[in-house]
Amino acid sequence: MNSRRSPLHDAHVSLGARLVDFSGWEMPLSYPSGTIAEHLACRTGAAVFDVSHLGTVRVVGPGTRELLQRTLSNDLDRIGPGRAQYTHLLDEAEGSVVDDIIVWWTGEDAFDVMPNASNTSGVRAAVGGVDVTEQRAVIAVQGPGARVALGAVAPDAAAVPRFATREFDFCGARCTAAGTGYTGEDGVECAVPVETARALWDGLLAAGARPAGLGARDTLRLEAGLPLHGHELGPGITPLQAGLGWVVGWEKPEFRGRDAVLAERAAGVRRRLRALVGAGRRPLRAGAVCVIGGEPVGEVTSGNFSPVLARGIGLAFLPPDVADRTLVTVEQGGSRLEAMVVAPPFHRLDLGAAPDAGERD
Amino acid sequence: MDIPEELSYTDDHEWVRAEGGRARVGITDFAQSALGDVVFVQLPESGATVAKGDTIGEVESTKSVSEIYAPVGGTVVEVNGALADAPEQPNTDPYGAGWICVLEPADPAELTTLLPASRYRTLVDS
Repeated sequence: MNSRRSPLHDAHVSLGARLVDFSGWEMPLSYPSGTIAEHLACRTGAAVFDVSHLGTVRVVGPGTRELLQRTLSNDLDRIGPGRAQYTHLLDEAEGSVVDDIIVWWTGEDAFDVMPNASNTSGVRAAVGGVDVTEQRAVIAVQGPGARVALGAVAPDAAAVPRFATREFDFCGARCTAAGTGYTGEDGVECAVPVETARALWDGLLAAGARPAGLGARDTLRLEAGLPLHGHELGPGITPLQAGLGWVVGWEKPEFRGRDAVLAERAAGVRRRLRALVGAGRRPLRAGAVCVIGGEPVGEVTSGNFSPVLARGIGLAFLPPDVADRTLVTVEQGGSRLEAMVVAPPFHRLDLGAAPDAGERD
Repeated sequence: MDIPEELSYTDDHEWVRAEGGRARVGITDFAQSALGDVVFVQLPESGATVAKGDTIGEVESTKSVSEIYAPVGGTVVEVNGALADAPEQPNTDPYGAGWICVLEPADPAELTTLLPASRYRTLVDS
């Protein structure tokens, strides 16, 4: 099967990007500066990501709000037109997360529903609408300097508030900006027509934003404690287990998976997603077994190295009653790492609370 | 791709520098480039006895984990402890400060079974 290519493919090649297959798309993993430099650029300045592989399903017309309200978990009554919302499509029977989605409510009866790349067709089947993924690029500018960089290129886009959406004109094209992202930093995501994408990308680089690949996107989201579908969300994993009860519109009379998640809320969750910081640099890895008091009690779902903490970090499902600061032994590949349960985001942790790095490795 | 002529290589993308009968070991420029940013190196135990092909350590990057194999059998006589605080050295200087360990070969003849630079270049170009 041929990989799909971003409208920005040529830009990535000319920057010397390492390209990898991601959910059927050939996308940049990193640029020559490397994942850690890209990660730190986003934490301290401005980084620009090509996230054109995300899906966009456009649903418009009378009754769309009601349809999405019945289908997706979060409550659109909490927001209004011109706002963005993180939401889930749940499995009807077990309440597990079929996909996690950002909805851009772009006009009174107009919504851009943005699933993960691999789930676009499934989400389209649930909400209807038209898959317009091929018609646009999505460029995410993230970091404390993101709005300054974007403001030099597209001032209207740079002024969009957090979790708001707005239209803006760029190079004669009608584009959409949203104050959303996946890095734990302030930032803006811009959906622009394919033929306009290169001009926005090049403009952002000229304004000082550093190109960052999917490698940095993953270390940034992990350091921010944000879930990734296929790891912290997916078949068998409910919003409550993932610590995302706020994504469920509990007051709504109807939505897919409602009975299942209400039943779980009444009975209590059997496990809960927690954050682990390692005592040393060694990355925690997905699949590693978590041991507390000599008993295997859970598993790491994602793990890597935190460039900000210079420690291994991970997310893991643990029993629901485990307290913060509990010590956990993580067994992976014949090694045993000491780690501690903490409250994310990792990059804002006071490491005085974590075990000393000198105790191990 | 930097492949110094004076070194020997393995098809696991390690290099060996013969130093008065001892073998200094590291990962090649190709290996570090493929791994991406190295964040942790698990070093072998100094004094350990190893057989050719044994796993003697691991190099972990933000992307993946890669094992280090003994290019020859023998005894680990020195390890690069500086990598504990500066694990990026295999990225920045793979044939210098990024070395992993030094082995005292049990059978020095094993050193002659390693790949010369020309054959290693053919391997990475293919």
